[in-house]
Amino acid sequence: MKYRPLLLSAAAFLMACDPSSSDKAETKPHKEAKTETAFASTYSPLASVPIRIANAKLMDGVSSEVLSGDLYIQGGRIVAVGANAEAPEGFPSDAAILDAQGRFVTPGIIDIHSHLGNYASPGVRAHGDGNEITSPITSEVDAEHGVWPQDPGFDEALKGGITTLHILPGSANLFGGKGVTLRNIASRTVQGMKFPEAPETLKMACGENPKRVYGDKGGPGSRMGNVAGYRKNWIRATEYKKKRDKDGDDFVRDLQLETLADVIDGKILVQMHCYRADEMVQILDIAKEFNYKVTTFHHAVEAYKIGDILAENGTCAAMWADWYGFKMESYDGIRENVPFVHAAGACAMIHSDDDNNIQRLNQEVAKTWADGNRAGLNISKAEAWKWLSTNPAKALGILDETGTLEVGKRADIVLWSADPFSTYARPETILIDGATIFDRESGLEPKSDFRLGQGEAPFSIPQETSNAGEEL
Amino acid sequence: MRHRFQILFSAASVALLSTSALAQDLFIQDATVVTAAGQQAETDVLIQDGQIAQIGSDITAPEGIAVHRGAGQWVTPGLFASFSTLGLVDVGAEDSTNDVTASEASTSVSERAVDSFNPRSAHIANTKRRGVTHAVASASPSGDSIFAGTGLILATTGQFDSVINDSAFVHVALGETGASRAGGSRSAALAQLRAALDDAQAYPGRYDAPTDGDALSRQDAAALAPAVKGDVPLIVSASRASDLLGLVRLKEDYPDLDIIILGGTEAWQVADALADADMKVILDPVQDLPSKFEDLGARYENILILDEAGVDYAIMNLTSYGVTKPAALAQHAGNAVGNGLAWEKAFAAISSTPAGWFGVPSSDIQVGPMRNLVLWDGDPLQATSAPVKIWIEGVEQSLESRQSLLRDRYNPLTERDMPHKYR
Repeated sequence: MKYRPLLLSAAAFLMACDPSSSDKAETKPHKEAKTETAFASTYSPLASVPIRIANAKLMDGVSSEVLSGDLYIQGGRIVAVGANAEAPEGFPSDAAILDAQGRFVTPGIIDIHSHLGNYASPGVRAHGDGNEITSPITSEVDAEHGVWPQDPGFDEALKGGITTLHILPGSANLFGGKGVTLRNIASRTVQGMKFPEAPETLKMACGENPKRVYGDKGGPGSRMGNVAGYRKNWIRATEYKKKRDKDGDDFVRDLQLETLADVIDGKILVQMHCYRADEMVQILDIAKEFNYKVTTFHHAVEAYKIGDILAENGTCAAMWADWYGFKMESYDGIRENVPFVHAAGACAMIHSDDDNNIQRLNQEVAKTWADGNRAGLNISKAEAWKWLSTNPAKALGILDETGTLEVGKRADIVLWSADPFSTYARPETILIDGATIFDRESGLEPKSDFRLGQGEAPFSIPQETSNAGEEL
Repeated sequence: MRHRFQILFSAASVALLSTSALAQDLFIQDATVVTAAGQQAETDVLIQDGQIAQIGSDITAPEGIAVHRGAGQWVTPGLFASFSTLGLVDVGAEDSTNDVTASEASTSVSERAVDSFNPRSAHIANTKRRGVTHAVASASPSGDSIFAGTGLILATTGQFDSVINDSAFVHVALGETGASRAGGSRSAALAQLRAALDDAQAYPGRYDAPTDGDALSRQDAAALAPAVKGDVPLIVSASRASDLLGLVRLKEDYPDLDIIILGGTEAWQVADALADADMKVILDPVQDLPSKFEDLGARYENILILDEAGVDYAIMNLTSYGVTKPAALAQHAGNAVGNGLAWEKAFAAISSTPAGWFGVPSSDIQVGPMRNLVLWDGDPLQATSAPVKIWIEGVEQSLESRQSLLRDRYNPLTERDMPHKYR
């Protein structure tokens, strides 16, 4: 099977900013081994059979048009797709056929901003594991260590078509910690959900949150302090990296700086919470000063004001459709943010940051798409679909593996009851790595431990069948 | 310079007039019209002299009248948001702009939302653009009181006369929120509520001094009195099935109470009891997560089961974030349809049903004076649809808002030769 390590594709994505950094990353394999063996992914796809999805309307995440055609899956991967797709060599002639009957088939949706598991339902105090609010600099922590795989929100998100999601630390800190990219798959452990070989990410935060949280705890207490805090620590990281590259006797491993040095080396993708346009541009300057790249601005409520600048810098924006007004830096939110950023040539995507809205990201795209076209843009539905899977996969460094319906990719697939831009549409069948893990008609669905034995009618003795009665 | 200012001022006053002009004559051709009888496809509506003159399928347009025809257009009454904080808050996280809570206040029921209400809040025009013509506005309980005060009904015109009822209901919280306000338990919350209802029932007789009540001061008891008599509804935030049954018991003791449950995630478990007690529910059909322990039974079938049992319900966006939850009202109703509720029932749950609860006259589309009407570019319950024209009490509304101005200033299609501030 054709398989390219994901780390390379992530580095390739970063090269637009710094061609030398990926080369450096390749020269230190022993360091990589040291950091990547801990908490390694144990994910393995569920058993699947070869399947042909026939008579589908395909929004494949690549084309700007809806295509009619078939999709062949074997070994958990897409082996043929498109209008004239034919069974490839070795595809069994008696393979199962799923007749889509003209319904829509899309890639699984990818949410780049979720706190499922680290702010799990129910939202009791004990489940608040998303923010390490003890210091503005906590790049040593990992979101995955706060993720509870039994969060019922994973199951509900799956029913909304989410097959991959990125869990981030919260935004209290300037450097919040590392994020983790998960398959939305039933597992007893986080390791069992981790997307194999997905690049690591670092959550950072701009603006109101860090200065509010630390204003009376030693700072930062202003946006000035925020910027000073980033720069001071990038200087520390640069020094640390020098020592690490030399690997001398006085080098002691420091988890906090290791994360930042890995960012400079291009191995960790920066995912940064930032609302205001002017602030995002300042952050891009800091990235240039310290020779790293901001992969994605998250929330980015004012991204529409600087779509051209984001495009020039090759930085993505992950946005809501219509959330605004809850804090000052979100006051200028408009309903056309995503399409305006897209129209400016930048990489735009939808995100949820919410355990309920994550279940309907297709509708969130539908409404922002419609408002964008109402404002005069002319974006097709198939083009807008990229905001749901293609662009988030790109921003997470996993586009070689998922996010589109292309030969060689993981078969992460949603079959919809109707046009997914309709509020009335629902996912009917969902595959991850070619295995059916949700099917509305047959009732196949995961159910968290937490859902068992509560929230329903009390237990009662099962009614005896008439046969059993005769035996008595 | 002076000359230029004058021009600007006159342009502004023209704009002001146009936002409040009486309905112009208009012929709407081939729309789906939603009347009390349901959807009427391919129907024409003739608006003349501030009246809906005719509704029918083969109306001849008067000569010279403006004609509006568009594929897939719909005509409906305006939407009614059965719960919101519109006009009470500008920026949620900025206390100075947020009158939703008053944790240091010594008053409770007598805190009137109308005294905080600002019809010029930018969020009202932003919400109106989504077809919402009327809304409930309410504070939240704070401090050690389970009461959020007395709420209002507004029209989304943005005008200073847009409050329709300044004492429309009393809002109180039970469940987890009420428990924490009352000191830590549901028992304490119910004890506070029962004592307060007794105070209100005995008002003014019980009060020789302002502080003579068991739970409420004189002014708060006076404010609660209309609710205990059933003259205005009592909105009660509660979700857990056992809490809802507690409300049924409460109503046995205070039979005049007109209770509207807000939340009601587990209402489906006690649907028959709620129907028998004539209790209404404001719920969010997309609430399917056990967000709190009081929501363990949350499921999207809630609304379907309540409907089957004959419970009166309204749909509201109670889940997603932001000040303008009502803006997504129609989308939430659309999701109930996606989950199996009949379209007409979902639409009633965001229009006539809650309007009736609060005594707002029906705005059914019918021949007669123009009232609240929205012309949409598609099925209003689809998230992709939006209003094309809106009338409130017969007055055509501007669809401009702070959001549309920001949109137009930064539209990537706009040619620019000067900085954005000059556009």
